[in-house]
Amino acid sequence: MPTLLELEDLSAGYGAIEALQSVSLSVEEGEIVALLGSNGAGKSTTLRAISGLLKPRSGRILLAGSPIGGLHSEAIVRMGIAHVPEGRRIFPGLTVRENIMLGASNRAGVTRRQLNEDVAEMFGIFPEIERFANALGWTLSGGQQQMVAVARGLMARPRLLMLDEPSLGLAPLIVQQVFKVVARIREGGTTVLLVEQNARIALSVADRGYVLETGRLIVQGKPDELWNNEEVRAAYLGGRVAQTG
Amino acid sequence: MIARLGLAALAILSLLLALGVGLNPYELNILVQAATYAIAVLGLVIVLGLTGQISLAQAGFFGLGAYGVALGTTIYHLPFLVSLVAGMVIAALMGAALGASTLRLGGHYLAMVTISFQQILTLVLTNWISVTRGPDGIRDIPRPILFGVSFAESGRYLAFCLVLLYLAIYAIWRLKQTRLGLGMQAVRDNELAAEVVGVNTYVTKVIAFILSAALGGLGGGLFAGGFGFISPDQFSFAESVVFMTMALLGGVQSPFGAALGTFILILMPEWLRFLKVFYLAIYGLAVILIVRFMPNGIWGYVEGLRRRQAPAPIGPVEPLELLSSRDVKGGTLLEVQDLAKHFGGLKAVDGVDLSIERGTCQALIGPNGSGKTTLLNVLSGIYKPTRGAIRYKGENVAGMSPHMLAARGVGRTFQNIRLFGSLTALENVVIGALRPGHDVPGGMAGVRARALAALDFVGMLDQAELIVSGLPYGYQRRIEIARALAGNPGLLLLDEPGAGLNLTEKQGLVELLRRLKGHGMTIFLIDHDMNLVEQVAECITVLNFGRKIAEGTPREVLRHPEVRKAYLGEETDADAA
Amino acid sequence: MGGRHEPSATGGWMAFDLALNLQLLFTGTGIGAIYALVALGTVMIYRATNVVNFAQGEFAMVGAYCMVITTHGLGWPYGLGILASLAMMALFGVVFNLGVYYPLRHRSFLPVIISTIGASILLTNGMLAGYGPEPQTLPSALGFDGIEIGEVFLDSQYMLIIGVTILLVVAQYFFFEHTLIGKKLQATSQDKEMASLLGIPVSRMIMLTFIYSAVLGGIAGILVAPILFVSVGMGSQIALKAFAASIIGGFGDVTGAIVGGLMLGIIETFGAAYISVPYKDAFAFLVLFAFLLVRPYGIFGEKVSQKA
Repeated sequence: MPTLLELEDLSAGYGAIEALQSVSLSVEEGEIVALLGSNGAGKSTTLRAISGLLKPRSGRILLAGSPIGGLHSEAIVRMGIAHVPEGRRIFPGLTVRENIMLGASNRAGVTRRQLNEDVAEMFGIFPEIERFANALGWTLSGGQQQMVAVARGLMARPRLLMLDEPSLGLAPLIVQQVFKVVARIREGGTTVLLVEQNARIALSVADRGYVLETGRLIVQGKPDELWNNEEVRAAYLGGRVAQTG
Repeated sequence: MIARLGLAALAILSLLLALGVGLNPYELNILVQAATYAIAVLGLVIVLGLTGQISLAQAGFFGLGAYGVALGTTIYHLPFLVSLVAGMVIAALMGAALGASTLRLGGHYLAMVTISFQQILTLVLTNWISVTRGPDGIRDIPRPILFGVSFAESGRYLAFCLVLLYLAIYAIWRLKQTRLGLGMQAVRDNELAAEVVGVNTYVTKVIAFILSAALGGLGGGLFAGGFGFISPDQFSFAESVVFMTMALLGGVQSPFGAALGTFILILMPEWLRFLKVFYLAIYGLAVILIVRFMPNGIWGYVEGLRRRQAPAPIGPVEPLELLSSRDVKGGTLLEVQDLAKHFGGLKAVDGVDLSIERGTCQALIGPNGSGKTTLLNVLSGIYKPTRGAIRYKGENVAGMSPHMLAARGVGRTFQNIRLFGSLTALENVVIGALRPGHDVPGGMAGVRARALAALDFVGMLDQAELIVSGLPYGYQRRIEIARALAGNPGLLLLDEPGAGLNLTEKQGLVELLRRLKGHGMTIFLIDHDMNLVEQVAECITVLNFGRKIAEGTPREVLRHPEVRKAYLGEETDADAA
Repeated sequence: MGGRHEPSATGGWMAFDLALNLQLLFTGTGIGAIYALVALGTVMIYRATNVVNFAQGEFAMVGAYCMVITTHGLGWPYGLGILASLAMMALFGVVFNLGVYYPLRHRSFLPVIISTIGASILLTNGMLAGYGPEPQTLPSALGFDGIEIGEVFLDSQYMLIIGVTILLVVAQYFFFEHTLIGKKLQATSQDKEMASLLGIPVSRMIMLTFIYSAVLGGIAGILVAPILFVSVGMGSQIALKAFAASIIGGFGDVTGAIVGGLMLGIIETFGAAYISVPYKDAFAFLVLFAFLLVRPYGIFGEKVSQKA
């Protein structure tokens, strides 16, 4: 099976900030890969570089072998990557149904009927939000919005679904619900790249994980290995004597 | 230096020419128009160029000044100067009223207010016939007689106007380096940071409007005397736009530029008379092109080329004095009781108790969305608390605006660095040193010396004369800290000072914080990097969902099960082993 | 224009002249509809780009001149003239976007405002240079002057204005609420970045918005032309009032633009009849002042205060 997504020595940043420095990682088809690290580690920057919101400074991004670094997000999304960004970003003035429908905007030539069928399918995967179908986006709670955002992402029928901090600001119980859905998504055949601050829950669903610290990749491996790894704990909770340089 | 001498020589030469060379009346009139318009445009330099507030009412103030002189001399038979000053005072009062509206409004709303004012004024001038003589205007406006000398002769009157113009240019040029001028530029570059650094942004904006209106009135009064005849249609919204264009063309941030732009745009149609019909259309096109390609105008473009020279080296500096022996040692500096901040239904901070001991470094940590930044914003006065008490040095400061807290010695930096981008590092830090409540002996020179000391303390002395927007992130971070230190704060609030720094830069930051602790500085910081926090903080408070979940030494806190849960996630039964 | 009643000579305020007031209401609604159309065009651009277009009034002026050029200058029949004018306005919207907004789309709001002001001057004086300062007339296309109902005279052109405005508002409502592209436009104005992440072509959506606004402005100009004269200054007259209207209604809100426009037209007309004609234009700004000081976000609009 070919590698779906590959980052080679990717560097990116904002203005004077070097948020990512020479990061290399890969995602195989059918996997759930977790990207971990504390705040400011560069996780969101990685996703933004992949989906085209941020232009890389150097290095390559390859989607199934084709370079996509530097393309517009509209083009990248059409190639099969869906990015569910941090903070949900549901369109507040549109209904849940409309939000989900717009998720298919990257697909050419979709009929009204197909659209409605797909939306019905989404409500099947996310039965909790079906009763809000005609409610405006801003009236939903954080957890409900997260479901809508993921559903919207799936409507793009992506080859790769990228989730940025889906647990952010959500109560633990809701987080459990959201991640049950993430596991279900993988069963449907979609590949998932998951960025999370909550290492425990991320590693409970992931096949593999990478850990970033101040823009660099420090360790990678299977969930068990990472969870028991001193460096991972240190990246989150300190407890390590400072190294110079 | 050479440039300044050259300009001074040019000024004197122009005065001699005005007085001596026999220009015909038509040419003199054009030059008088240029000079008086330039004075009005200088008003825009203050309000828009320096303070960043949009004003499309300048023609209105120009008109008030003009009518002041016209009515004063022809109807009320007052001396020219008295009428001129009266017109300026009325204009200044109106300017104050407009400035007052900035308390609630900015951006396009402010633009609308100024336009409305302009429109109403034009209507009043046209229709209040009993006072203003309506659309027919006022004629036979005399020129002044000062100290027995008549300025009726056009060359003399031109010289008179030019002298006032040059004085105004000089005054504004000097203003940029004064406390008020620096405060204005701070408001323009980053209003929130200006507030936090101690600038009373509201009062600054009102003063900007007053000065701008007064200059508009001055120009208008001289214009009336120059042409002898005025009518309402000369002071309409279209003229406000013309003033704006002149300011933009020359460079709205520089008095020289504004004067240059005015002279060009008034003299140009004379040279391009054959284009008269298309002239105004070209005007409009010029505005679009200038905004796009020369956003800082001609002067700004020239200045941009000039600044690339290497800055002059700085001599030795005194070490930075922080705190003073008068300050009490030990005891509680800041006490927070049951603090809450709600945004509608969202309880960002939900009943937090906190106390910070003098001379200690305390850290606030917690996952994203836990309310840390909100808490810091409440402590620095940016948000008013929904409930709870904040006592700084025993005084209840809850609800005070940021500049009042700054005056009491609370210093703060921002997570996403808020420096005054178009100013140099030194100017940024000087603004910090000028905070109210902080008396530095030796006037501006003393302030400057202190600012240099602060830059030296953070290792940025070599960058003093460089514009901060071009500096690397790590340098900007340090300069922001220097800006806070220059004001000699009693309490330093740092919002994610490590954000965006690489490992080496973070180590440098740790060293800097340790040195500050050595001086007895009280520090309260937020950060995510546990490494950094561990090395500098004696006490850590942990927030989650707006509440305190743990507090203690780094050791205690980092082994606390609640904290581990908050950061690493819940332990499920299966993983308990 | 139709016949008018003079305010009642006996009693002033006390004698409530129903016919007069209905007449004023009708006229005020007509003028208000024009303000609403221009305000609507401004709001559309603002929602999509967060920029206030100070040249919106000139869109109306250009539309009116297009009609004059096609029907007088070229002698085309009225219907063809309208189609041609609307097509020209659409093209104008494209050029305006590319020339004025697009190059500055990443800059702060101030340069863009100033740029649109520059465009306003360019258009006004360009038209002046091209067509001369004399006001032009554009006769009403309708064959009849109006309808008399009791003592109230309903002018045909005003009826046309109100009718077209109602149609447009309804059509716009359907477009935005019931078509997919309408939803995409709404999404773009609510969160540009998120829209592009879904694959919605944001630049194209903004271009569509400018085209729509330009056509809307043109329609306003064509409708109001038989009432005011067609002159180069007609745009700024209307535009400033339209801005005032949208702030009163709530800046950035579509309903606010419409309600604000109608309210302003009515207030202005009643003010002119009962208080003073020369200061008629001042009412708009006085009401605006009042709103800006007391309730800057208007009746339906966004909160104005800063965020940290």
